[in-house]
Amino acid sequence: MFKDLNLANLSKWWITIQISWVKHTAYRLNFFLQIIGPALVFFFVKYNLWASIYAGDEELVIKGFTFEQMINYHTWAFVVSLVAQGHGSWNLAEDIRMGRISSYLIYPFNFWEFHTASWLSFQVIQMIIASITLAIISFFGLVTFPSWDLFALGVAYTLFISLFWFTLQYLTGVMAFWLEETWILRVMLSIVAYFLSGAIIPLDLYPQWLVDILNLTPFPYLTYYPIKIFMGEVANLGLGLGLISFWTVVFALINHLVWKKGIRLYTAAGM
Amino acid sequence: METTFTSRLGHYWDVYKKFVSTSVSVETSFRTSFILLIFMDLFFFFSSVGSVSFIYDHVVQIGPWQKNELLFFLTFMLMIDNLHMMIFSQSFWEFSFNIRTGQLDYVILKPMNTIFSVFFRHFRASSLFNTPLFLGYLIYYGIQVGLSPFDWLMVPFFVALSLALLVVVEFILSTSMFWLTDGVGINFLRMQMQQLARWPNFIYQGAIRKFLTVFIPILLIGSGPVHFLLDKSAWQLLATMVVALFAFTGILLFIWKIGLRRYDSASS
Repeated sequence: MFKDLNLANLSKWWITIQISWVKHTAYRLNFFLQIIGPALVFFFVKYNLWASIYAGDEELVIKGFTFEQMINYHTWAFVVSLVAQGHGSWNLAEDIRMGRISSYLIYPFNFWEFHTASWLSFQVIQMIIASITLAIISFFGLVTFPSWDLFALGVAYTLFISLFWFTLQYLTGVMAFWLEETWILRVMLSIVAYFLSGAIIPLDLYPQWLVDILNLTPFPYLTYYPIKIFMGEVANLGLGLGLISFWTVVFALINHLVWKKGIRLYTAAGM
Repeated sequence: METTFTSRLGHYWDVYKKFVSTSVSVETSFRTSFILLIFMDLFFFFSSVGSVSFIYDHVVQIGPWQKNELLFFLTFMLMIDNLHMMIFSQSFWEFSFNIRTGQLDYVILKPMNTIFSVFFRHFRASSLFNTPLFLGYLIYYGIQVGLSPFDWLMVPFFVALSLALLVVVEFILSTSMFWLTDGVGINFLRMQMQQLARWPNFIYQGAIRKFLTVFIPILLIGSGPVHFLLDKSAWQLLATMVVALFAFTGILLFIWKIGLRRYDSASS
């Protein structure tokens, strides 16, 4: 898989990153409405909901969260979801379904390389957007920054999660060899991940038995624990990194196998 | 005149039955997707209800409502979501695709009202499987909040009214696709509107609440009927909702014509 990853090949990666950048930013309104809009609206709803729950009571503490801490939690949830879970591998499934992967079979650049380079480009854009959004939110005093070392750890952890999310999304994408519509899998994955990872409400509010079970799955490590790092609390770091690494490798291997099996089924109509 | 209207209605009903039967045939030929769609709806339903339940484990009330009242509101909105998903959702996505590819030519050439042929074309039968469950939850929470027999009679009418307002606002928004190269983003905007509407109006404050009540009246969709069902003196929102439905239908008919004139087929 990695035999082509030499210096000559790196220039192809660089060019693909540049092309993908242009593609992502060509339809800016669509990009905003599709990628940034949902995260922004989600944050806006949560802000209003919790403002309504706390109703200006500065003394009210819910499971250890004052209103400021709750908004701080959701601000970091917004940043984490933007950077770690923004990518949807939409083009990947479409490439397979529309028969465009025939090009990759001819070009001296693998399908997975093209889409991984495209994802890297997407991540750079997401990082820029997240930085700008964070600057705006901090201007309104809605977020508290941790120490620099914890901030750096949080960013690194979030980027690592984005790699895991990419391998998972890649799997839903290559399922297009068998499925007519892969968006259903992607949406299902997002719904489950949002609910079980603490993106909607902090896991502290969940029943303890459920949290104990969830801690054995990768879900809390996708959102809840990275947020905790940004909030200055490092917990279950080793376990989280171990679980995420394990599942990233597992999904990468499954992706490889699924691709090998799927390409045998592939027929490009009209080519 | 009445005969003409009745026969036209009958004709449209016959056409709609064909739309439904062809949609069902297509959908059931992709069985895995069909089953996954059922599960997707279920996950969404239970994650929404679960989130609200978990919050209420730690607070007594949100705004003026306690747990059962908010869950009644939520199940009312999820019922509308279910019907929306079944009757309209797919047509919005097809609409943006058809504009981009020029296939809309064949849709608008049909001898029918174009709004009907564009937005009622696709039916998602998989959502029908979850309807009894969602309805069961709505009835359960309706009992918990003590709805009267009169209220129960009004519930189906209110669901239809709310769905009508939601889709009319969405039709207007979708008309903007005529001016865009790719309208997919508009569909995401539409989904965000639904997300905003999924919470009662009192969680939003000040100008935002006014804007989402008057200019884009999505907060009326659930809050209008449910506030009325829970408290008969709160009829103002419901009345505003009826007015909004008529006003926005007028806007839709006007703007749709302009949009059609603006449409420049990609295939010609």
